[in-house]
Amino acid sequence: MTAAHDHPPALELRVDGVDLRFGTPSGVLALAGCTLHVPAGSFTVIIGPNGCGKSTLLRLMAGLLSPTAGRVLVGERPPRAGDGRVGLAFQQPRLVPWRSTLDNVALPLEVAGIGARERCDRAARALERVGLAGAADLRPRELSGGMAQRAALARALIGEPPVLLLDEPFSALDALTRETFDRELQRLWMERRRTVVLVTHSVSEAISLADRVAVMAPRPGRIARVVDVDLARPRPVDLAGDARAAAAATEVREALAEGHAAELRPWAEQEGAA
Amino acid sequence: MRRIGAALLSLAAFLAIWKVVTVIGDYPEFILPAPERVVEEAAGAIASGVLWEHTATTLLEVVLGFAVGATAAILAGIALGKSVLVERVLSPYIVAAQAVPILALAPLLAIWFGGGLLSRVVICALIVFFPIAIATMVGIRSTDPLLDELLRSLGARPAQRTRLLEIPSALPVLFGGLRVGVTLSVIGAVVAEWAGASVGLGVLINIANQGLFNTALMFVALATLAIIGMAFYGLVVFVERRLVSR
Repeated sequence: MTAAHDHPPALELRVDGVDLRFGTPSGVLALAGCTLHVPAGSFTVIIGPNGCGKSTLLRLMAGLLSPTAGRVLVGERPPRAGDGRVGLAFQQPRLVPWRSTLDNVALPLEVAGIGARERCDRAARALERVGLAGAADLRPRELSGGMAQRAALARALIGEPPVLLLDEPFSALDALTRETFDRELQRLWMERRRTVVLVTHSVSEAISLADRVAVMAPRPGRIARVVDVDLARPRPVDLAGDARAAAAATEVREALAEGHAAELRPWAEQEGAA
Repeated sequence: MRRIGAALLSLAAFLAIWKVVTVIGDYPEFILPAPERVVEEAAGAIASGVLWEHTATTLLEVVLGFAVGATAAILAGIALGKSVLVERVLSPYIVAAQAVPILALAPLLAIWFGGGLLSRVVICALIVFFPIAIATMVGIRSTDPLLDELLRSLGARPAQRTRLLEIPSALPVLFGGLRVGVTLSVIGAVVAEWAGASVGLGVLINIANQGLFNTALMFVALATLAIIGMAFYGLVVFVERRLVSR
């Protein structure tokens, strides 16, 4: 195994004027004119209300969906599921119930056709990295919610993808576990500056993790504003006393409120007329 | 230990009731022989090698018929489960074939495939096919869509998704079909033998019943069929416990 294989260079992500329509040509327009540039090695957070297309945008970046119009590029090429350039972790851990934790973490390597011994070695190291070395032989039902999500993170990282996409991976965890996760995620990212895109609902989580916060507006989904968060790292979980953090949070909240207001405007106008 | 004890106790109770009924009813032997008469008859049939000769043939039919039928059914079930088109095209034929009684089909199959082992294996395979194919299809469809999306995100090809996800997901339901199928295979063997054979437990039943008026020997054949069915059912359950760990 070469060093280059261990440390592939981070890749940038480009979403250029993407429309995404589900189903028929007259189907729901989930995304319209969506444009976002994620610089190589940056930590970008996508935030927005429920149903604004955050997860859809992430699936486009992972190559699970193809845009109806516009283009998505990971590095020079469009993403293709399984091309090894993107690791994806979902909101639910999605561990295969009949496989041990180790075999779950090794699943991407198995799909890629890597031999059993190498799979096993690499999965063991990946588990160690997320602090789950002792859980290798446990079944998913024997893991706590936090442990299961750690295993899912280890699985997303095992192929050493240059881009890591995280779809609200901590939203089902309790607040304390979640803070621990945010710290660990920051540490993992600082060790190896891969490109990270994290989807969340939480403004404070966004500010404590992101270099840049992309705020989405709903119906149809689009990027409303990108807020830069210029704070030193590692950042504490509690940024309450930090003036620059507070300013960034305010800007994000304003952008969210604008998107929300734009969505409510037709109703407001109707009420005004009546 | 306790399970074996309970089974032995229920067997003893069954034999005792049987014995009591024959004593009270005092039936002629061709209607209901006493249990010890059946045991005696069995001992004779085992000693002379007659029982084994017929049992061996039936066993072969049951095993081959089940193996062929279950293999075809699992492959068909996977195709039916994965493709709505395949289900639309094939399911009317499968259901229609299942609706025609195998007893009525057996003589025709004996004409097509000859009077030998082949036609009997085909009949066993046919009767086994339906429950296993349907169980496989339902099982494949029970695959968690979230896990399916995970595998697609890893770039898994359709064959890999089937091997790594869909078949393991289908196993609990699939084994329900295999349990039903394996007992049906025994029925298929007897039906096939009645449609034209010179050896087998179904043939032995006919000989005992119509040729020899030996009801005790008929009971021996019936008990042997029951034991074969129970043994294969037990084997399927054993394999199921090994493979399905949830």
